[in-house]
Amino acid sequence: MANPTLAAKSAFLGVQSLKHPAFTIEDLSSLTIASITSAKGKSAEVKAAIQTAYGVALPDTPLRVTGNGIAFIWHGPDQWMAIADRGTNNRDIEVELKPVLEGKAAVVDQGDGRAVVRVSGTHVRDVLAKGFAIDLHPSAFKTNSVAITHAAHIGCIIWQIDAAPTYEIAMFRSFADSFMDWLTHSAAEYTGRH
Amino acid sequence: MRITCPCCGERALDEFAYYGDASVKRPDIASPTAMADFVAYSFDRVNAAGPHRELWYHSAGCHLWLVVTRNVANHEILNVEPARDVARATQQLPTPGRGSA
Repeated sequence: MANPTLAAKSAFLGVQSLKHPAFTIEDLSSLTIASITSAKGKSAEVKAAIQTAYGVALPDTPLRVTGNGIAFIWHGPDQWMAIADRGTNNRDIEVELKPVLEGKAAVVDQGDGRAVVRVSGTHVRDVLAKGFAIDLHPSAFKTNSVAITHAAHIGCIIWQIDAAPTYEIAMFRSFADSFMDWLTHSAAEYTGRH
Repeated sequence: MRITCPCCGERALDEFAYYGDASVKRPDIASPTAMADFVAYSFDRVNAAGPHRELWYHSAGCHLWLVVTRNVANHEILNVEPARDVARATQQLPTPGRGSA
């Protein structure tokens, strides 16, 4: 019998993507994701190890930093999420980070647990404002800003990746369909699509 | 009412959960006076109108426990501190680095 293989499937089945100048949704289903949780009192060692391996300083405040194709997203005190594209070599961030942080932090694969969507467009702030009760104005939320919050009763982590602005939003995978329902309905007045 | 989380900044009340009085300390259950101590811990409250120290949890945000000083007469938030800093300052928690990995 042939070895069974697992194929990654999008958590946003049925929507996939929406392209409109006012609002664009891109389904990021080819990500590898891992959480990094510092062992008690070892936060400084975790930061030093990541600095050595990837040349980036893990933030203590709600920020995103990038190095070697990985985005490190602040995820609460002494915690971060590492996100990268799996690419053609099927990169596995958990396998990559575990030896780097051995004895310093818990590194746990979140690729099956989280879904991430990328949104942009001329009305992106108007759409997100219907659910996110945080200030997304550029004076308050900039490129590489991060917020852990909720939208439409769904726990989300949102971060901004460029000044367009383009945002990425992560949520628990089982809420992806519900979140996409809210997102497309909120965008309908700008895109004309439900 | 909005609470300024030391990590996340100002957030709406619906991101937080209230977990009670932060001015009392849980008694020692092994103490000979444990019953009386727990009755006092559970029920004795001054209930003064004015500033009150409360435990809140940023459940929909960074998951930090907070000690919020709030004026219960007008809901003004006077101070917000991470509960772990308060606990360390009052010797209820080990300092960072002493815990085992």
